[in-house]
Amino acid sequence: MLINQPNLVLDSAPAAAESGNVTLHFLQGVAPEAVPAWLLPVAAAGVSVGVVIGMISVIAMLCVWLERKISGHIQCRYGPMYAGGWHGWAQTIADGVKLLMKEDMVPSGADRALFMMAPAIVLGAIFGAFVAMPLSPDFYFADINLGVFFILGMSSLTTIGVVMSGWASNSKWSLYGAMREAAQVVAYEIPLGISLMVALIVAGTFNLREASALQGDWFGMGWFVFKNPLFMIPASILFFISALAETKRAPFDLPEAESELVAGFLTEYSGIRWSFFFMEEYAAMYLMSLVASVFFFGGFQSPFTYLAIEQFGADSFIANLVGAVTLIVKSMFGICLMMWVRWTLPRVRIDQVMTMGYKYLTPLSLICVLGAAVWEAII
Amino acid sequence: MDFQGIYDHLKAKDTPGLLTADHPRLPDPENKKDKGRFGSPFVEVDPQHICEFMVACRDDDRLGFDLLADLSAADPAEESEEFWVLYQLLSINHRHRLMVKSRISKEGANINTLSGIFRAAQWHERECAEMFGIQFNGHPDPRNMLLPDDWEGYPLRKDYEFPEEYHGISCV
Amino acid sequence: MATNSAASNTFFPEPRILPGGEKEFMMDVATSDLEVSMGPQHPATHGVMKILLRADGEMVTAAQPHLGFLHRCAEKIGENVEWLQYLPYTDRYDYLAAMNNNLGYSMAVEEVLGVEIPKRAQLLRMICVELNRVASHLVAFGTYGLDLGAFTPFLYAFREREWLLMIFEKICGARLTYSYLRIGGVFNDAPPGWLQEVEHFCDVFEEKWKEYYNLLMVNKIFVGRTANVGVITPEQAKDFGLTGPMLRGSGVSFDLRREMPYMLYGQAFEDGAYEVPVGKGEMGQLGDCWDRIYVRVVEMMESIRLVRWCLGSIEEGPVIGDVGKTIKVPPGEAYVAIENPRGELGHYVLSDGGKGSSRCRVRGPSFCNLAILEDIMPGTLLADSVAIIGSTDVVIGETDR
Repeated sequence: MLINQPNLVLDSAPAAAESGNVTLHFLQGVAPEAVPAWLLPVAAAGVSVGVVIGMISVIAMLCVWLERKISGHIQCRYGPMYAGGWHGWAQTIADGVKLLMKEDMVPSGADRALFMMAPAIVLGAIFGAFVAMPLSPDFYFADINLGVFFILGMSSLTTIGVVMSGWASNSKWSLYGAMREAAQVVAYEIPLGISLMVALIVAGTFNLREASALQGDWFGMGWFVFKNPLFMIPASILFFISALAETKRAPFDLPEAESELVAGFLTEYSGIRWSFFFMEEYAAMYLMSLVASVFFFGGFQSPFTYLAIEQFGADSFIANLVGAVTLIVKSMFGICLMMWVRWTLPRVRIDQVMTMGYKYLTPLSLICVLGAAVWEAII
Repeated sequence: MDFQGIYDHLKAKDTPGLLTADHPRLPDPENKKDKGRFGSPFVEVDPQHICEFMVACRDDDRLGFDLLADLSAADPAEESEEFWVLYQLLSINHRHRLMVKSRISKEGANINTLSGIFRAAQWHERECAEMFGIQFNGHPDPRNMLLPDDWEGYPLRKDYEFPEEYHGISCV
Repeated sequence: MATNSAASNTFFPEPRILPGGEKEFMMDVATSDLEVSMGPQHPATHGVMKILLRADGEMVTAAQPHLGFLHRCAEKIGENVEWLQYLPYTDRYDYLAAMNNNLGYSMAVEEVLGVEIPKRAQLLRMICVELNRVASHLVAFGTYGLDLGAFTPFLYAFREREWLLMIFEKICGARLTYSYLRIGGVFNDAPPGWLQEVEHFCDVFEEKWKEYYNLLMVNKIFVGRTANVGVITPEQAKDFGLTGPMLRGSGVSFDLRREMPYMLYGQAFEDGAYEVPVGKGEMGQLGDCWDRIYVRVVEMMESIRLVRWCLGSIEEGPVIGDVGKTIKVPPGEAYVAIENPRGELGHYVLSDGGKGSSRCRVRGPSFCNLAILEDIMPGTLLADSVAIIGSTDVVIGETDR
């Protein structure tokens, strides 16, 4: 039954039938004849990587600023107000410059190679995960059929970097943080994947672009969460909780736990290496919000996208742009929700984290999978 | 109970170690040198029997001193031959308190520990020992409390001389 | 016992027989406890205190507090300065409740001095001391949230505390180290409009207090983190000489203001101006961390009621008793204890008739309250140990003096 789903993507996005992404098509269009054909995919890959890194960095910086403003307003203060003029919008840039100019310190007794490698692995893994993330029918970097698995796999790689950093720091607090991270991520990977499985059952595809395209009916409101509300709404809540734990956000920020472990695995890091971890946290939040948007809340589909497609055609630039903006705005909602939770709740304890993950979230998500499967089989 | 009641009770029970009660008094108008003694009353206890006295105070139904509020010492004057060890007892049920004073000689100052009777005494005694050089016999954990382990001298003694430096750090 | 190590099963060796007759099964993987030095620079120790933890993974097996990093020789200074000169030093030991420290020292000296305090001075003292208690408990409440990872209640608490500090600044010019309560009374009369502002604060605070209570105290995660954690039985509390909210959190209803009234507290209690909250074990066992923080939070409200009572019965009059310009204290000695936000603050002063005290002993409540950590921390998780340290509400300036 899953296989027999009509592939709507082929109707709305003809580019999917061809190989390569939008960058390659663009380069093929503008490149002079003399350029050898093998160079174009290489150049397209380079440009795509640049675009991914640039986009994620900008969004991460925006999120940092947003976090400060949101926390400030939750706590009856303003947050940054000076840097850059308007509501301190340039505060993150100023901080970034400061972090860049800080001394790059490696503690004596640390495993130097691992210590320096860990932030790179963390950041690389999370940027790699974004490769499979389509923003709109034509704005994508790699159209991977098993996109969800790729994203989950890559985002799990960050754990290795974190454990590495904790071990290499030669600090007991870092080690504690790393061990907590390992335990917590392993525990929450399961409900995260299983709750996503509910969406996959409803979607019938692992490809994020196809999944998004499938939700375009009902005037752009045919989101999976509305198509199977009985199981998808609980699954989305389970996914949100698991994503909080997966991205080490409060109330699951045990690996950092600044009042218990000083700064957890970040204790010995400073300057630009620290900011790599910091950026990873926000990129991971963004990634999880994007996945949630795609598989639960309609991806790039919304009434606006619907209107744009009606007006300008499915493969027009404007429709794609509206779709991309829709997806980013949706994921920003997710990020704001995560921030709201962070600045409201106290931190849970490690045994409570484990209990919640294994005893409650995993069985509940399994029930959701079962229910959704039965639902899909009947209807 | 007020102080007089407590003292009378202690006296009546023939509590071990109890010596006298010291009440505040006005100066004697005929004796110019006597300036009197102001403040709060206290009982004096023989340091040899301090543990027995404390146990008696704690276990007596009508006294019921179940909380050792404070334990400290005083060096009344440089020329004085004795230290005072001061105990502040507090009864939660009976809502009264008692100040107990024990005089011990400065030479080889030592007194029995109370940490077996009140756990609260343990830290106070550690502090007292490092500040006055009083040895608390039988203390389970006689480390320094506030001062570094290699600090020399007993700062709260009247004849204490400030060190010029400590590990190269100037103290003056 | 495994006699031949080569022949015995390495994965399931034969159990060791414990003294009680129980069998202890050992895995062949040798694990060693981790010794972690929590502090002197650690966010959870509320200052420069060190706790040497021995931990088996996340489980704390032994804890040993090390003090003295903030030792500033307050008692020795007390022997070397004049009576009034020592007053600013009292501000410095419990810097979150400096008014209370001023009061404790002043009352000890007044006990030897035998001076009469005018009623207006008494009431001004009570207002300041109770407001300071609110400010101190606000910090305790806020930082406790911080210890458990809730950042926002901290800033809410500090917003109200900021107002209190401004109120104190108006009456004495200082925000933290007041030296406002003097031997014999208070430094000066309240400026015009000050009492009205205090009343306004009380009105606002009562509304805010409910918000705080709902935000943190009944939060499910907060309760989960604090209930049944760090349980102190009443017997243990008495044995360790705990006082203040630590003692009341264990269900022992003992407050020096009520049991051994000083100033006008006895009269206020008869008028029903305040009650003494005690832990009831509502969320878990009696004497857990939740009970202790609950006592503090409810005490804030009781203090506000007391302030209202004082505002209602204040009258015109002098604000300082007849102590003379240079204070001459006759020979004598006294131990006077007052109820500080953290417990019994005792001052033992010894006067030989000279310019200053011959011995000035300070019994800091935090010092005694901290001693129990050694006993209650083993067997808890690392995160619990942070919750326990936070629930003792230590001020390191006072433990080390």
